[in-house]
Amino acid sequence: MNCLRINQIYLYLEGELSPAENKSIEEHLSSCLICKKAVKERKLLLQASRSLPLWNTPPDFTQQVMTRIFPEKVSLRSLLIVMAAGSSLIFLTFLTYLLISDQNLADFLISLGQTLLNLVRNLSILFVKLYKLASLLVKIILQFSEFLLKGFDSLTTILSPELQIILITFTLILSAFILFRVKKTLLTGERS
Amino acid sequence: MDEDKELTKRSLKGEKEAFEMIVRKYQQQLLNYIGRMVGNQELALDFTQEVFIKSYSSLYSYNPQYKFSTWLFKIASNYIIDYWRKKKIDAFSLDQKSKWNNDKPSFQLQSDESSICERFEMSELRKKIEKALEKIPPSLRELFVWRHINEFSYEEMAEIKGIPIGTIKNRVFQAKELIRELLEDAT
Repeated sequence: MNCLRINQIYLYLEGELSPAENKSIEEHLSSCLICKKAVKERKLLLQASRSLPLWNTPPDFTQQVMTRIFPEKVSLRSLLIVMAAGSSLIFLTFLTYLLISDQNLADFLISLGQTLLNLVRNLSILFVKLYKLASLLVKIILQFSEFLLKGFDSLTTILSPELQIILITFTLILSAFILFRVKKTLLTGERS
Repeated sequence: MDEDKELTKRSLKGEKEAFEMIVRKYQQQLLNYIGRMVGNQELALDFTQEVFIKSYSSLYSYNPQYKFSTWLFKIASNYIIDYWRKKKIDAFSLDQKSKWNNDKPSFQLQSDESSICERFEMSELRKKIEKALEKIPPSLRELFVWRHINEFSYEEMAEIKGIPIGTIKNRVFQAKELIRELLEDAT
């Protein structure tokens, strides 16, 4: 048998060869010092490679993964408990206030009702005004866009395609120039 | 093997505990692979979490004909390749200048070969191997880690990478010889 090739040595050491192949390699090793030395060298390398230190996960690693996959959901029971606790706290505060201020319960309820009524009335007026303003704005925007579209449509029928391209290019350049100028002015302002 | 299939089946039915058992079983193996690939404990822990999340969300696509571990490591391998790509690092080429720089290397034994490993104590040799491992191309490092740290068979590695067993074996031997060369440089 000729001297061993390196891949043969690894296959031999890793037990990947047939019994017949193993036998012929062992016979060769008993008479060849070069191959014997090479096998010893790779055996050491393999031993060290197989016993490299392991990296350990932190104790709460599994829990971290599981929490990311299944985020904790608030159960209905705990939600009810929180609501009950909140309501009890409000009720207790209300009772304490009545006892400390020495106020009549009926008077207190009337003033509370009036305050709430005023709040509802003011809020409804505000909402109606806001609604009117928003609908007016939408109307203006719609009319303006309709005007723009009509203008653009009539321009495309009057002008030739070449002229349209020139006009669009000119507008783009002009916009870029204006933007550049505005930016420059703002920067100069910042510096000064 | 069968335990994994049972656990994935139960996980798909919504049993949280079943997937928790999968995480417990594979977390260290994955961390050791990912850690050696990225070389940073914090990043490795984060990536390991991401791989589990990814595997849970695509569990429906797992084919029980194959081993669960190979499927999981395939996800991890693709995740790391994406990471290298985003960092614009070439993870696939054998960029190290070496006689092992091709797919069909010459495994010819040199008659004047010197003994390198014998020069070190076992603990020192392990440290030197860890250092050398960081220097070899990621494509070879990955296979070395799977073979010697994760203890995968060549068949499993071929299944993960989708390349012939012969090629996998050659590359693992290349990785080991490259590490040996680097140990020689370190002496």
